[in-house]
Amino acid sequence: MTTEERPKLSNKDRILMPHQEMPLRPAESRVLNFEEVPIGYSAEQAEKEAMRCLQCKKPHCIEACPVGINIPGFIKLIEQGKPEEAIKVIRQTNFLPAACGRVCPQDKQCQAVCVVGRKHHPVGIGNLERYAADYERLHRKMEMPEVLPPTGKKVAIIGSGPAGLTAAYELVTKGHEVIVFEAFHRAGGVMVYGIPRFRLPIQIVDEDIKFLEKLGVKFVYNMIIGKVMSLDDLLEKEGFDAVFVGTGAGLPRMLDIPGSNANGVYSANEYLTRIYLMEAKKFPTYTTPLYSGKKLAVIGAGNTAMDVMRTGKRLGADVTCYYRRSREEAPARSEELKHAEQEFINWRWLSNPVEFIVDENNFVKQIRCEKMELSEPDETGRRKPVSTGQYFVEDCDTVVMSLGCSVNPIIPSTDKMVRTNKWGVIMVDDATCQTSKKGVFAGGDAITGGSTVILAMGQAKKAAAAIDQYLKGQLTEEAKVPTDPNYSVQSWKPASRKAEKEGQSVDAR
Amino acid sequence: MTTRVEEISKKLQEDSEEAIGEVLDRIRLMEDLSAEEKLDLSKGLTSILYHHLHSNSSRMLKLAIRAEKRIAKFGPDVIPFLFEEITDVDGESAAYLGKAFCKIGKPGIDYLLQEWSRFSDNDPALINLLQTVSYYTVPEIQGAVPLLVAASGHANFQVQAMALHAMGRILERSNTNLIDRRLVTNLFDVCFHALAHAKPLVRKNAACSLGKMLRKGILLPDEEKRVRDAFMSITGRDEKHNWDRAFIVRKEAELYLSHFHPVAHDGHGYRQTFRIHTKKLLCPNTYHFIVEAPFIARKIQAGQFVIVRPHDTSERIPLSICGWDREKGTLHLIVSAVGKTSTEIIRMMEGDAFRDIVGPLGERSRLPEKKGTCVVIGGGYGTGAIIPTALDMKERGHKVYGIVGARTEEFLIMTDELKAACDEVILTTNDGSKGTKGLVTDALEAIMLKEDIVHVLAVGPVPMMKAVSEMTRPFKIETYVSLNAIMVDGTGMCGACRVSVGNETKFACFHGPDFDGHQVDFENLMKRQKMFVKEEQAAMATLTRLHNN
Repeated sequence: MTTEERPKLSNKDRILMPHQEMPLRPAESRVLNFEEVPIGYSAEQAEKEAMRCLQCKKPHCIEACPVGINIPGFIKLIEQGKPEEAIKVIRQTNFLPAACGRVCPQDKQCQAVCVVGRKHHPVGIGNLERYAADYERLHRKMEMPEVLPPTGKKVAIIGSGPAGLTAAYELVTKGHEVIVFEAFHRAGGVMVYGIPRFRLPIQIVDEDIKFLEKLGVKFVYNMIIGKVMSLDDLLEKEGFDAVFVGTGAGLPRMLDIPGSNANGVYSANEYLTRIYLMEAKKFPTYTTPLYSGKKLAVIGAGNTAMDVMRTGKRLGADVTCYYRRSREEAPARSEELKHAEQEFINWRWLSNPVEFIVDENNFVKQIRCEKMELSEPDETGRRKPVSTGQYFVEDCDTVVMSLGCSVNPIIPSTDKMVRTNKWGVIMVDDATCQTSKKGVFAGGDAITGGSTVILAMGQAKKAAAAIDQYLKGQLTEEAKVPTDPNYSVQSWKPASRKAEKEGQSVDAR
Repeated sequence: MTTRVEEISKKLQEDSEEAIGEVLDRIRLMEDLSAEEKLDLSKGLTSILYHHLHSNSSRMLKLAIRAEKRIAKFGPDVIPFLFEEITDVDGESAAYLGKAFCKIGKPGIDYLLQEWSRFSDNDPALINLLQTVSYYTVPEIQGAVPLLVAASGHANFQVQAMALHAMGRILERSNTNLIDRRLVTNLFDVCFHALAHAKPLVRKNAACSLGKMLRKGILLPDEEKRVRDAFMSITGRDEKHNWDRAFIVRKEAELYLSHFHPVAHDGHGYRQTFRIHTKKLLCPNTYHFIVEAPFIARKIQAGQFVIVRPHDTSERIPLSICGWDREKGTLHLIVSAVGKTSTEIIRMMEGDAFRDIVGPLGERSRLPEKKGTCVVIGGGYGTGAIIPTALDMKERGHKVYGIVGARTEEFLIMTDELKAACDEVILTTNDGSKGTKGLVTDALEAIMLKEDIVHVLAVGPVPMMKAVSEMTRPFKIETYVSLNAIMVDGTGMCGACRVSVGNETKFACFHGPDFDGHQVDFENLMKRQKMFVKEEQAAMATLTRLHNN
């Protein structure tokens, strides 16, 4: 069907079209295995959903996207039944579309500012992105991008997570020689060790990595830069012209309460790494063990906490979530929260754990919480939890703390030239992502202290552009790296406060 | 039949597991058995093996494994009997008999090669014999390779399949340094051609054997590429979309492809093979390995450790380093078999390669600021780990005492190397079989009475480190201990290695592994180390089963 054959739709008609719900596997059966939960749009559904886009003259969604995808552009092509063209538009700016369509917090970014979303459900931009990416993958339409002739410059990328892979892609297509150093035995970073397979199948990550290899990116595994080679070694002895640090946020925060070092208490990183990277879910075929009991208590309500809960459920545990604020304040992506709610998780909102009670062998057996209530909103608009003095105790035999991470300290601790703020976050020039060490750039969670895949990619793109300029000798200005140890990069904020509120009100519906 | 044998044979007929266990114990203690008695006993013992096949009890499995060992211990006298049995029974029974047979060693091979031709027309017997061949781990079995190649051209496809299977097994379990290169090429060609065979079973076994060669790392780059391309085609991952019709073949190829996803990107100059140069037995279940890891060897310092993963399915386990050679690019490791992964490591041969080694991790061992007498104390694997630090201390002009403790003389390891690194070494054993009788703390006390000590480093089992710390605490002697907490990644990412030091939570992998012994909460550490005891047992059980079946 071509565009001409389609009925011309007025904006009003488009707005009134029903939103296409993403088809999901039923909760009863999906908690039994690690298969992906959403099934994906059919071609018909995708085209119908695409029709809802108004093709705004001044699209807010592009501004709200950290990597600036031409969103109306690709949606138009899907509407015209040309997903293979649509993916080309996405690929101009986003190198990991299949992953982003699945794990991006669209409801806080592009979909939050969608004009349709002011009164109705916003256009399912993420689902459409996913549809286009899957179409490309399943029909093997992956096209090699144009690679510029070799420049003879060499760039080292440290860490093969979303930031590292994006930077590698951007730089290799500019004709530079790119070598990625990874500390683990598998590339993909958080997409391999942290994001569950039922949200992001591993094959997608593997294919993206293979794609990079075809482009000429070289991966070196089992290399901990900072320990095995310092940044100086890379820049001076090994002949690299620039370094990109994408080491991520890899130092879990733990509650400092009695019993937090008990057996059966994990950080979310450990729990997920054991299960996904080390395949403890296939124990004992894979040797890595996981002490996973029948009653799992998860502390926190962010995206990672949702991942932990749903993973625990799939391992057969009875899962309870403890969070000191209420559901409205939960930082998780609304879709994740919704999926988790469908999957028979028990919720204890406004409960602040104060102690893990252990048995004689130091195994955790109970969790003691304090009941909280929310204060009136303060000047920032956030309602703080305040204690009520009431306590309750519940049984559990495994506890996972999902309270976020600090930045991995290996690089800053081994190279004092790389300046960090007091939380250990690497400080960079906002415009170029340059660090205080010449020739060293950074991006991703290493400079934000923990955020999302897409933000990491946005920074990596910015850094890659700056590295390209630097290698060509065009980046002559001194890096303006903040010196204030209290300085922290603001996490991603949607275009306006109003839009954020509207975005949330739609979710709540 | 002598009376004692007759009595045992009768007992074996009973259907009780207790009776069989008792009989096995009695046989173990019997000495000076005559050839005839051995033969009679083996007949009885084989009945246990057959018996096991009909029961599902794990106890029976253990008894069968013990029976197998007993038969093997009878030695060359029972070879003809076993051989006849193997050629005359079903495949599953032959598996047990074959394992007993191959444990007898070289005489068995000679007999087997000599008698082989008798069975060239007897297909079931031939299959059983091929299976027996596949259990051998000694290099002499390479003599059977021409027979395997011949069998792979046999008219019966089941014989061919078993022959291909045996090829992979033999190469997988031999010492790489002793394998003739031409032989590998020969077997590679045979297996590679068999990938185009009409029967799925043959294709599957060919793929399996090629995968094993690939995993062992004995193929030339060109051959490796051919295998990888073939596996890509079988699994339908290439552009041709012409995948193998049989699921079992695709599954096999898939398995080995996933094993090889990340490695083998040459051309960046940072490839480390982690090949084992030498392997040496130090004491029961403990080996000394010299492993190639040039980049790590260039940077590692005393007190740091590495994380090792021997196979794709293994756990990542931290190992301390007992030395290195920066020029040769090698690390020296001591590994004691305690869990499944360490057992997998000690079963590796010279020439095999570790899947991953990551390091150097942790901080360098702390050295005392002012000059004086230092004491390094090692127990078990820790005896190796203190050597680099002792050398460091000596280099800086400290006087270094070394104390090594063990249960008996047999378990005192690395003493010569330690003597070279220290000014004086004191050996202690619990039973007094060598050195002074007693514990390391007794030896430490003796030194404390003589001299002013400025620094103590203790590496070894937690109770020993705790005792040392308690000993030095009243005298405020700076005491460091190296904590062997459970780890996953080793870079501070997971927090599995949390230890409580001075009421603060520290990560052993990143802040340590050395901590002030007076501040460490040893109780918590000991309990945390026992976190996976049950899981570890379950894992060990699979290992034993895999090894024996």
